Amino acid sequence: MMRIAAVGDVHMDADVVGRFRPALELLPDLADVLLLAGDLTRHGTAAEARHVATEFGGLGLPVIAVLGNHDHHCDEVPGVIDELTRAGIQVLEGTGTVIDTGHGRLGVAGAKGFGGGFAGRCASEFGEPEMKAFVRTTARIADRLGTTLRELDCDVRVALTHYAPVPDTLTGEPPEIYPFLGSYLLGQAIDSAPTALAVHGHAHAGCERGLTPGGVRVRNVAHPVIRHAYALFHINGAEPVEPPREFAASH
Amino acid sequence: MTQIPSDQLGDYVEAEIQRLLAEDTAVAEQGITVTRREHMLVLTGEVETPARREQILHLLAEHFPGVAVRAEIGITRAEPPVDAEEIS
Repeated sequence: MMRIAAVGDVHMDADVVGRFRPALELLPDLADVLLLAGDLTRHGTAAEARHVATEFGGLGLPVIAVLGNHDHHCDEVPGVIDELTRAGIQVLEGTGTVIDTGHGRLGVAGAKGFGGGFAGRCASEFGEPEMKAFVRTTARIADRLGTTLRELDCDVRVALTHYAPVPDTLTGEPPEIYPFLGSYLLGQAIDSAPTALAVHGHAHAGCERGLTPGGVRVRNVAHPVIRHAYALFHINGAEPVEPPREFAASH
Repeated sequence: MTQIPSDQLGDYVEAEIQRLLAEDTAVAEQGITVTRREHMLVLTGEVETPARREQILHLLAEHFPGVAVRAEIGITRAEPPVDAEEIS
């Protein structure tokens, strides 16, 4: 059994330091890894990232993060990543990592993701340059996420994003803003590999549980959704989910 | 609570408030839902600290002094979970 803790959208600044720490200090006994699903800061400054490092660093277990849209707001992404990395927090963007948990090799592929919407109500790469750039951005991120997932050499794969890969976990949000909350392209990428679990944040008014068309469990771990310091998942059996037939044939 | 003229509480004010909450450099909240009711706006959602809730109310009072606001904004709990989900 592999034990995963996850939370997103903690929006750290000086006023939040210490809120999560008592619960986080229990984690070495509860989990093999902590995943942070983006929006770690309020405005994306390096100073706020130092508060993330103070709260989530030095916990005695691997901490793996992706950034969210808030973490990009002040255009200080390199500084944010530097602060997190110096605290031992690994930041993924179209990249992956494998952890030997003692119960098997856990692979995590991470990417911020982006918007675009879901089947039947999604944006197309058509028209103005800005519109095409929007859709291409998501497509490029999703493509990299899928490749990383497929190439992970591990027993169990987990996908970590900020934006949602399915609409299921957006239930509760206004349907009009779904295209700004996620993209089916992320779900397609997750379904292209034998992924055991996908976690994301971003949708504060969404719900916890969903499923990709390929059957991968999706969990929205945005802090206002889970209403705890983190959610815990136990992946039993370390049996990888088989990819859908169409992906198995094409990859 | 001050009642405001109905022409001040239209679609444009609702949209401006939604954008203000996200774009104000101090507040930067995208997780607050603004709902228009008769003669008032209701804000729902959760923030990380009571100070952030106060910041939101202060911002709205500053920019829309005539708008009555009802804040149903909670503080997200940060206790450890009581159980783990088994995924097989």
